Amino acid sequence: MLATLREVQIPMLAVLLIGGCAAKARSAVTARAGTAGTGPTQMFPVRLRRPAAIALCATELALGAGLLLTAGRAGQGTPAFAVRVATVLLFLTAVGALQELRARRPDAGCGCFGELSRTPVSWRVITRAALLCAAALSSIGVAPLRMPDSAEQAWLTLAVAAAEIAALAALSPEVGQAMIRLSHADPCELRDVPVARTLTALRASRSWRHYQEFLIATAPVDIWREGCWRFVVFPGELASRQVEVVFAVHLSGRRAPVRVGMLDTGGQVAHLGDEPSATAV
Amino acid sequence: MAWRWPQSHFRQVRHKTDFPLDYYRATSGTPDLCARRALLRSAVFDARDHELWSYRPATSVVTGVIAGVREDGIVLDSRRGTELFTISPATATWLGAPTTPAALRPGDPVIIRHRTPDPAAPMRRLAECVWARIGRVTGTIIAAYEREFLVDTGSHDRPSQHVVIAPASARQVQVRFPKLAPGYLLDVIGTRHGDHLLAVAPATAQPPYRAGHSPAPPLVNGPIPACISGSVVWHEPGDEPPDMLGLGYPALDPETTDPETGDQPADGGTGCVRLPYLSLGAAVRIRNECSDRTALLPVTSDGALHRQFCDRCVKCGTSPKGRLADLTMAAFVELGGSLEDGCFNATMTLAG
Repeated sequence: MLATLREVQIPMLAVLLIGGCAAKARSAVTARAGTAGTGPTQMFPVRLRRPAAIALCATELALGAGLLLTAGRAGQGTPAFAVRVATVLLFLTAVGALQELRARRPDAGCGCFGELSRTPVSWRVITRAALLCAAALSSIGVAPLRMPDSAEQAWLTLAVAAAEIAALAALSPEVGQAMIRLSHADPCELRDVPVARTLTALRASRSWRHYQEFLIATAPVDIWREGCWRFVVFPGELASRQVEVVFAVHLSGRRAPVRVGMLDTGGQVAHLGDEPSATAV
Repeated sequence: MAWRWPQSHFRQVRHKTDFPLDYYRATSGTPDLCARRALLRSAVFDARDHELWSYRPATSVVTGVIAGVREDGIVLDSRRGTELFTISPATATWLGAPTTPAALRPGDPVIIRHRTPDPAAPMRRLAECVWARIGRVTGTIIAAYEREFLVDTGSHDRPSQHVVIAPASARQVQVRFPKLAPGYLLDVIGTRHGDHLLAVAPATAQPPYRAGHSPAPPLVNGPIPACISGSVVWHEPGDEPPDMLGLGYPALDPETTDPETGDQPADGGTGCVRLPYLSLGAAVRIRNECSDRTALLPVTSDGALHRQFCDRCVKCGTSPKGRLADLTMAAFVELGGSLEDGCFNATMTLAG
């Protein structure tokens, strides 16, 4: 049982390290200017935060890959020992850094899994780091991993892995954050919707098929947005008169309603003088 | 050849005679862009709000340059020519600090809020408030030397502004802005002197975070409220007409570009209040909670910088955190705001 527990740590740690690096990288790529510097990197001077974050992510990726590559016979001996000791040192450093972060910046999240790790550092997160450090320590000296010899061994391995995943999940505020985000959908007024998606929805609509014949250009002359509606304007011609055809596409998703209007522009633009308006504020 | 004549289109097609003549200037210029888009929107939704959209100057605000100061009035050179505004002991004058009209000098640029005390004599206008040489700089400090700062405002027409803090105001500014160093936000009000602003008062309290590191906004569940509360601030005209009524909006749609410049909205970070995405030309209704005045205003510029401020306005009660809009000076004054205060508590509703 103990041997199985020690063997399970290697792939578990590798997945956590590679997953953490991927989450941080995704957060850095998709975030706007406001989220630079998360977790312990917030304790660095501003100009060093980005290099520190990159170095941390690269270290996690290298150690995660290293654990997997040295898990079998090929990397046995010194390479496996070095990678596993480095993993121990990484998590030991993490325990100290999280303690420091909690003391200096009580409102800061650990940044362990990017956007999901915004909850302030608590004893759960520090305990998790300490357990992972112990897990890495227990993996030193483990024999090369191999497939289970029997069905009973396979079930034991799965049970041990499941128990460890459950223990880590209990210590991870990221699980709750992920559940909130999975169940959450921004209202359409707040969603980022690419223009290309709007044009695709427009061109697939019945309104487009009905009014397309009046258009004299396929490229819109104006596009703008007001909350849940995006307006797309095309030049057109109806009964020998110049018109502008305006489509209002709702941004709520599939089969969203599309409304249409036409404006008779009457040809040449008239140049007019100033006309005072009686409309008061 | 049979001529297809779809009847439904006749009911839908709006004819140019149905619309204000302002539409025909709508191919250029931001106020005309607003009018044009309002007309096109009304063609879809059959709303009449485009009637509110005829480009109109402010009715109780005038901007110009002092031509002369008399005992009973101020002579102003404005866009409409030379105008006279009578003054009274109640006329409030600001020139770096509250003062009297006698302190004004020919050549001073001013903005005046006025009223007509006698409806039978509409040409006789009484100046209620006069702000002379007032200016404001909001942005990120990019260079600092003692009391002088270079500030990046994120604006296309005025990218960097030179700010000098007046010696008498240094302590007051330092208390509200303890970190006057590159990378931190600054928002000050003062008087314009050639190429720099002499800051005399802080417009708000400095956020504790660096520029670009504002706290993430909360997740929003369900439809956003029809009325959003917060604070409203103001900005100097820059390249805009000085008497234009409009606002800079902090949440322009990042996917659509400015039709005139082709630029995309600036990246001001996620901000601390979630506002619905709009584009230039959209209409919002702003209500000044302090003066109980409401106006329908077009989005005329990008106010992305204000997403970084999570401050509250305390002019009448305490507003929720976050800035809803950055009004033009004329719109701010027209709605009853005092420029030296920097903000007023407001609610915002989408028009239409």
